[in-house]
Parts: sequence; structure tokens; C-alpha cells
Amino acid sequence: MKQYFNIIKDPRFCLVYNEHRPFGAGPAPRRVRLNREGFTILPGVKKKTPVRPGMLLAEHPSPEKGDLHAPIHGVITEINARSIFVDAVDSESFEPDAFQDAPEPIDLIKIGAEGEELALAVKKMGVNTRSLGQRTKTLIVNGLNPEPGVRWAEPMLAEQSEEMRMGLELLRRLHRADEILLAVPEGCDTRLAGMKIVHVKPMYPNSVNELLIKEITGEEAPPDVAAVGLHNVWSLGRTGVTGLPLTETVITIGTATDWANYIVKNGSLVGELLEFSGIRLKSGDTILRGGPLRGESLDRLDRSITKGAYGFFVVNAGEVPPIEGNSPCINCGACIQVCPTRIDPRMLSRYAEFGKYDMSRKENFRLCIDCGLCGYVCIARRPVLQYIRLAVKKLEEEERLSRLTPIEPVGRN
Amino acid sequence: MSNSSNNDILLAISTPPFWHCGRTIRKNSLHTLAALAPAAVLALAHWGVSAMRVMALAVLTAMITEAVCQTLMKQKLSQDNGTAAITGLMLAFLLPASAPWWIVVIGAAAAIGIGRMAFGGYGANQVSAALVGWALVFVSFPVYMDPSSSLLGSSFADPLFKAKFFGGTAVADIPLSDLLLGNQLGGLGATQTGALFLGGMYLALMGVIRWEIPCSFLIGVLLSASALHLADASLYAGPFFHIFSGSTVLAAFFLATEDSCSPHRRLPMLLYGLTGGILVMLIRTYGIYTDGAPFAVMLINLLAPMFALIRSHPFGTAPRRKGKSAGEWRSRT
Repeated sequence: MKQYFNIIKDPRFCLVYNEHRPFGAGPAPRRVRLNREGFTILPGVKKKTPVRPGMLLAEHPSPEKGDLHAPIHGVITEINARSIFVDAVDSESFEPDAFQDAPEPIDLIKIGAEGEELALAVKKMGVNTRSLGQRTKTLIVNGLNPEPGVRWAEPMLAEQSEEMRMGLELLRRLHRADEILLAVPEGCDTRLAGMKIVHVKPMYPNSVNELLIKEITGEEAPPDVAAVGLHNVWSLGRTGVTGLPLTETVITIGTATDWANYIVKNGSLVGELLEFSGIRLKSGDTILRGGPLRGESLDRLDRSITKGAYGFFVVNAGEVPPIEGNSPCINCGACIQVCPTRIDPRMLSRYAEFGKYDMSRKENFRLCIDCGLCGYVCIARRPVLQYIRLAVKKLEEEERLSRLTPIEPVGRN
Repeated sequence: MSNSSNNDILLAISTPPFWHCGRTIRKNSLHTLAALAPAAVLALAHWGVSAMRVMALAVLTAMITEAVCQTLMKQKLSQDNGTAAITGLMLAFLLPASAPWWIVVIGAAAAIGIGRMAFGGYGANQVSAALVGWALVFVSFPVYMDPSSSLLGSSFADPLFKAKFFGGTAVADIPLSDLLLGNQLGGLGATQTGALFLGGMYLALMGVIRWEIPCSFLIGVLLSASALHLADASLYAGPFFHIFSGSTVLAAFFLATEDSCSPHRRLPMLLYGLTGGILVMLIRTYGIYTDGAPFAVMLINLLAPMFALIRSHPFGTAPRRKGKSAGEWRSRT
């Protein structure tokens, strides 16, 4: 009976896909594009610098953002305001001393660092530590696939146990929580030594951290509980296992009919991934980085898989009804019915549509957890989630500006 | 050869979510039209060409009026999404088969013009558009709208008329099957209660309408009619008579569920429907009109914003308590 009376009938929203193929190795990139926004490029890193895997290219001033390392053997071909481009070269054909020495693997366990010291070491290895949680009492590792269509969580728990064990051990040593739980789908018999396992109903949007916490604790936004994604723990574990800087990410490459999980180099161009997985595009198709409900669409094939991205999807033209542009809200209320935080996406989207961002405050726009269900069910095909994100951004900007103290003109004596 | 070097492809940029449930206004309209179809067929079987005339005229007028208004308002024409046709058809269902052409035209034009486009278009109206058109012609031209006086040639009787003026005993012998098959006098389609009930169930199962509203609406009628019936069976007819006579079923499944005129959260929807059901019985029993359902729906449409005020505190905020102004924020990590 479940499929009746309901608006959401998509079986993909059940986040258990019985996917057990081990992760494939992604293509060897011919070219990579690394995002450098906010990074300070090291002196000596410039155009035509030869780079080798794991070589530090740029540092991030924030102690919580991982540094940037080269993922491949190659030569820097371009550095602009947003990206560093590296073209692959055959390491054999180059003179042997053209490259820096290979970085020594660092055994994070053996050096015995803990707490903030370990966090800094991990940051230097390229891992974003902000996404590993703030200091709380209970930290829940979110073992569900983050979004419908993303399918790496089950094989990650089953096949990548070395990375998982290492990741959880390092997470423990970061001392960010007194207790760490691993949340897995109901019916999943994952066991990890010394790990307390909790089971949750694997129905989207339960994989959104805020709702996962509610499912487990029974409380909405309880203090002292935080969640961290499985993908981040894997990244942490990967650096621990290899001892080398993080230059890879696990992604699901998917279309409507086919999918597979790969470990790809950070900065891989999406065009090369498409070619590698044999997906042919037509005009009017949409490609997106991240998941199908919360990701971002890309305009060109030379965009890249950024650090921490967990999916790359193709939505063919005609697969979903097209967004027609300025279609007005028809008050059908479907978004209100599906919104897990019980806010009113209908009114929020209208406020943003007409620039009345102030009104969004009344409707608790900040509670939006970005799950994307409102846009998924909208029969008028309005970009509801995008409107809410716009309002959040505008109001945050406004608040940031209001915190600035106006500069007094310097008095003339 | 390769995708990365192919610059002929023009990618579509979109906003998340990139997947969609597939429902559109147009598809929902087609489902609704499919749900109304059995009743329309039965209406043709009962009233023949005259019913055809009223339905076609109402649908056509509704669509033309919408097109004219949209042109004047410089909106995109949207007749292809079928919502105007549904409004026209529902209005026709409420009219007697004998309605003269000018009543149909005035009703349909008012339904779309005053009921919908004056508020800005589909989904912006506060009161069901079909009912606005119906109320206008019903109050203005009562003689033409009364099926008992305008359809003298018919062998059927208006069961609600009988129940109101001759008491519950007068209608006690009307078999339920007669009511279900539409062998009663009233609106040409609204009286096909069996067919409408099936169509309404289909819509609820498909998720096009929200099941809470028809369910609580019918429960409201059931409860209040049962109470009256138990108090004095000779004066008041039974609950199933009231559900399957007149336009109760049309009101419950098709009129009260109009998306923009009803609340969207569960408890408000249940209260909204329940109030509607009780109002139907109050108007039928104590009002001057024999069939209270359309007026009851208009009243609850107007009450819908009040019902919508009943809502739980949003996610992660403390419930609103006495003495505090608003839901209080908890620190969120």
C-alpha cells in the first residue's frame, strides 16, 4: 500500500541498493583541474613546474581545510584565480631529478599524535577536518548513502574495512567526541571491532545528518550530538592507510539506467570520466557533481571532481519534466507535506522570488536542511530549493554587513 | 570521438534537485479528468444530448475565458494544462441538464473570470473557482437552477427536496443503488455519486488529492447525519442517504480538495474536512437550501487559512509555550 496515497513513490529513495561490486579504479587523468580558491600557492609553484603525486602545491590558511596536493605526475600548465591545471606527463620520459623527491609516507598511528596535533597533521595531508565534526559528546558516523542514487556506502562498509577501521581509529584519536556510533541501514550486519553500531531506517531523507540524529536519538537537534559522513571518514582512513596526502575520492558515476563506484583522482575532468565510463551525451542533458537531489549542475565538460565530491550523475534530456522558468506557485502544498523540518517552502520560495528576503526570517528559513524534497515534488517545477538557498545567502550577506563597524572619516585637525 | 573534445554538445544547466517525481500540473489534470469521466458518461446516459450541451459549453467557455483573461493580463496561455477544463466540467456537473445556454456561459465565465483570474491565475484563488460560478448563477437565477421545476419531464425526483419537506420517512424507501447509479434529480454530474466515488478513490490512491480531506468530509457527514437520524428517524434521513444524494461526493472528493483552497498539513486537513461535513448537514437540515454541500465547501474554503494556522513548531525548536513570544531557538551545531 505504501506506493499509494503518497507523492514520493520512487524506489530509489530507499537507500539500500544491494550494491556489492568493489570500487573500480578511475581513469588515469590526462589533465586535472584543482580548485585553488582560498589557497595560498607555495613559492616556486608556477607555470611549467613539474609535479608528482602528493607534492604540496598550496596551503589553506584555515586550520580546518586540507592543503592542496598534486594528484598525478605532470606539469602545471596554467594557474588562474580559481584553478590550477596540471597536464599529465609520463614520469619515465622526464629527467629523474626534475621532480621533487617522493614524499615519505607518514604513519599517523605510529607518530602517536592525538587531538589538535593530529588534526593539524591530517590537515597537512589534505583532509578537511571541519567536516569531521566539532567537539561534542556523541558523534554519529553516517553510514547511509547520502542521497538517492549514490551507492558507495554499502561496499565501503563491506569491502573497504581497512580504510574504515583506520578512519574510525583516527577519528577516535581526534578526541572530538566522548562516544562514537556508527549508523548503518536496518538489516545490515556490518560489524567493526570496538564500534557501537546503531540501525536506522534507510529512507531518504534520513541520511541527512540532522534527520539521522533525530532517528537515532529521538530528539530534534539535541545538543551535544553531531554527525559525520562516511565519505569523510573514508578519506581520513585512506590517508592513514597509505600515509600519503589525500588525492582521491570515491564517487558514484550514474545515469538513469547504469551506475558504478570508482576511486578517482581529485581534479579529474568530468569529460574524461564520461569517456571512461562510456556515457555518451546529447545536447540538453544535464551533468551534475554531488548527488541528484543536492548537487550542482556543471556547464562544461572540463569541470572537475572536487575534493570530497561523492557523485557524478547524468540526467538525460526528457528524463524529468523541464523547468519552464517563471512558473508561479500554485499553492498545491506538496512541498509543505514532504518538508521534514515542517517549514513552509511554498512561502519561502515566493519571498525569495520577489526579493522579500526579510520575510523569510518569519518562516524559519534557517531550519532548511537542504534535502531537496520540496523541488522534487513541485508540480509547477519551481526551483524551490534554489530559492531557499538564495534567501539564506542573501540574509547571511546582510548579517555579515551589519556586523561591520562603519569607518569614521578621519578628522582634520 | 571523445566527449571531452566535443564542443557541439550544449549542456542544460539546472537547479537541484535534478530528479523529479514526474508529476506535473498537466498530468494531475489528466488524472482528474479521467476520474470525472465515468460520471460524465453516466450523465450522458441519463440526460442525453442536453447534458452533453451543458458540459461542452461550460468547458469551452471556461477555456476561452481563461485565454482571454490571460491575454489581457499578458500571461502565458495555459489552456493545455487542463485546469480550466476541469473547472468548467465541475461547474457543469453542478448545473441541471436543463440549464439554458446563457446560464452555463455566465456561470463558466464567472467561475474563471471572478473565481480564478481575478486572483491572478490558477492556484491563487481562495475559494473553489467552479463554486464561485455556480453560486453566482444559483443565487441570481434560482428558477432555472432548480431541477425540480425545470426538469418536469423527468421521471426522477429530487431526494433532498423530499427529505427536506416530507421528512426522513419519505425517503426511507429510496434504495441506495438508485442514488449510487444517479437515478435522482439534481446537478447533472453531481448526482452520479457512485461513479464520482470511484473516481475520487482513484485520485486519492494516485496521490493527486489528499485523502485526509474527502475522508474527514464524509466522516463529518456520516457523524452528524447519524446523530440527527438517531434523534428522530421520521424527520431526518439516514447518513448514507445524505452521503450519496445531492453533491456531497463531488464536494468531498473534487471541490473541497482543490489544492489552493484547502490546508496542507494533516491535522488542519482533517479539521477542515470534518467542519465541511458537519456544515453540509447543518445547511441541509436547518438552512433554506436543500443541498448544502457546495455552500459548505465555500465556507470551509474561506476558513482554510484559519485551519492552516494550526501547525507544529518547526524542527528542532522548542514548542511555543504560554508567556513566550515565539518558538525558541536551540543551539544547533
